[in-house]
Amino acid sequence: MVTNKLVLLVEDDPADARLIQRAFDKAELDIAVTRLTNGDDAVAYLDGQPPFENRVLYPVPAVVILDIKLPRRSGLEVLSWLRNQHYGLKRLPVVILTSSRHSVDVNRAYDLGVNSYLAKPESPADLTRLAATFHSYWLQLNESPDVQS
Amino acid sequence: MAEPAASKQTSALMAPETAERLFRYLVDAVKDYAIFLLTPEGLIASWNAGAQHIKGYQPEEIIGEHFRIFYTEKDKLAKKPEAELQIALQTGEFKEEGWRVRKDGSRFWASVLLTPIRDEHGRVLGFGKITRDLSERRAAEARYRLLIEGVTDYAIYSLDPQGNITSWNSGAQRIKGYTLNEIIGKNFSLFYTPEDREMGIPQQVLETARELGHFAGEGWRMRKDGSRFWASVVVTAMRDEEGTVTGFSKVTRDVTERQIMLEKIHEHSRELEVQMAAREQSNAELEAFAYSVSHDLRAPLRAIAGFGDALKEEYAAKLDPNGNDYLNEILDATRRMNALVQDLLEYGRVSRINIPLEPVSVGDAVHEALKRVGDRQNLTVDVTPDLKAYGHLPTLTQVIINLVDNAFKFHETGAIPKVHVRAEDKGDRVRVSVQDNGIGIAPAHQERIFQVFERLHEREKYSGTGIGLAIVKRGVTRMNGKFGLQSEPGKGSTFWFELPKPK
Repeated sequence: MVTNKLVLLVEDDPADARLIQRAFDKAELDIAVTRLTNGDDAVAYLDGQPPFENRVLYPVPAVVILDIKLPRRSGLEVLSWLRNQHYGLKRLPVVILTSSRHSVDVNRAYDLGVNSYLAKPESPADLTRLAATFHSYWLQLNESPDVQS
Repeated sequence: MAEPAASKQTSALMAPETAERLFRYLVDAVKDYAIFLLTPEGLIASWNAGAQHIKGYQPEEIIGEHFRIFYTEKDKLAKKPEAELQIALQTGEFKEEGWRVRKDGSRFWASVLLTPIRDEHGRVLGFGKITRDLSERRAAEARYRLLIEGVTDYAIYSLDPQGNITSWNSGAQRIKGYTLNEIIGKNFSLFYTPEDREMGIPQQVLETARELGHFAGEGWRMRKDGSRFWASVVVTAMRDEEGTVTGFSKVTRDVTERQIMLEKIHEHSRELEVQMAAREQSNAELEAFAYSVSHDLRAPLRAIAGFGDALKEEYAAKLDPNGNDYLNEILDATRRMNALVQDLLEYGRVSRINIPLEPVSVGDAVHEALKRVGDRQNLTVDVTPDLKAYGHLPTLTQVIINLVDNAFKFHETGAIPKVHVRAEDKGDRVRVSVQDNGIGIAPAHQERIFQVFERLHEREKYSGTGIGLAIVKRGVTRMNGKFGLQSEPGKGSTFWFELPKPK
């Protein structure tokens, strides 16, 4: 069971970010989405570094939605950093949501320990369905690991 | 007549008189050699069968005559016979090959040995002469020399053991540029390039010929005028009966032409390789470009579709019918553009030069293709079980998808499309055909439709990107297959393609 329903969305394209956020909103799902725009920010947030050191304001999310193409640090680098942590944080579920269906990227992501790999849908209807399915699966069905200790 | 000097080597097995008599008979009987005695003054004192055979004189005709009678006029004038006797006396023997004259005046080439005969006190008792007729051999040699002389394509000449030139032929003159007089006696290393001479190549060549019997090789040589040519060379060591090297024979051929041709071929193939590499690279670049362009087009497309959709959902009520119409056109256009980008990406994928080919199950490809095409009515399938083709599964699948999609699309409004997919074994190849009962295609258009962006119908009638059949054409071609179409307007179409079977 998921205790907090926070999704950390790391997406640099403002249009994509807005549409994804809208998809989650439309589904009237009881979730909060925090958006970051680059890889360095993502690492700083997850690591509790400034300006994200306040864990009340910036709690650890239930799941990370990560794009691959990001400024400063790529999604795969963020993933790699995360999986190399020495405490529970390394278990944090990560779902990649990206436009590339390149098998090279897919395989590399799984090699680095991603939990799931999704391609951004072309049609808005599919995006809405994705948000609903995502919520069902990752925030209702899925058992969360301990990411603190 | 002087008695033959007592031989010091008479066998102890015979009485001296018997041995003497036998010697006489021996000499008498020999037919191939003229063996006879001369007085110290040079008069002929004995005769044998060989002398008679070779020179033509009967004993009674010749005994008592001076042996100069056997010489040519020229030699007689030069007092050669007398000189020979002197040489024999001074050096112990006279040996030569030269012309002699027969009784009938004809000349023959003779091998001659003249030896002084002395008694125990060293007094000259006379001379012994042995003559052999080498005409046969000389004629053979002459023929041989003519042969060699006549050859102009090969330089054939001989060297002494040190590599100095002892003979020359017209081929040698033609190829190397030196005349006989210019080159006789000079060393053959003259023909080598300065670099080769510095490295001692000529000496190595002779060494090899000496050790192994011959040397064969190719390399640059120099002509008299300093120009270079590529030579094919064989050097053979000539030995006498004892195995001592008496010289070398050398055969050289000018193969510059061939070498130039070979180098041109190498250059050409190197150029081709470079071109191919360049083309491969530019193809790879094009592919990467096409991929990234198509891929990057999707992001703005997503935005247009997404926000258009959002607009429609949240503000449709605020728009009049015209406004909604415009909005729908926009959304429609993005869908079309998506399809285009998708097809372009697919076309790019299928156009790659190196599609890896391997045995694939035709049944699997058909199955996967129909799954992706989706649920359709009136679709019948007839695939021979265990049918394998030599191809690329993803490409094969895409080709079938495109053909089936088309089969279902191009029918008259209101008509019910019926599509039959068949895959059959044709011996050394596999044939897949997709048959429909649609609108058909006029022969005039049957080639055009396989080209990129070619469409026969307005968008309102039948949607499509105009790339589907181009993908079929490219994909089948890349899999080394053939494709075709049987169709008549109003009578439906059968699109087919054939692929080779795995070996």
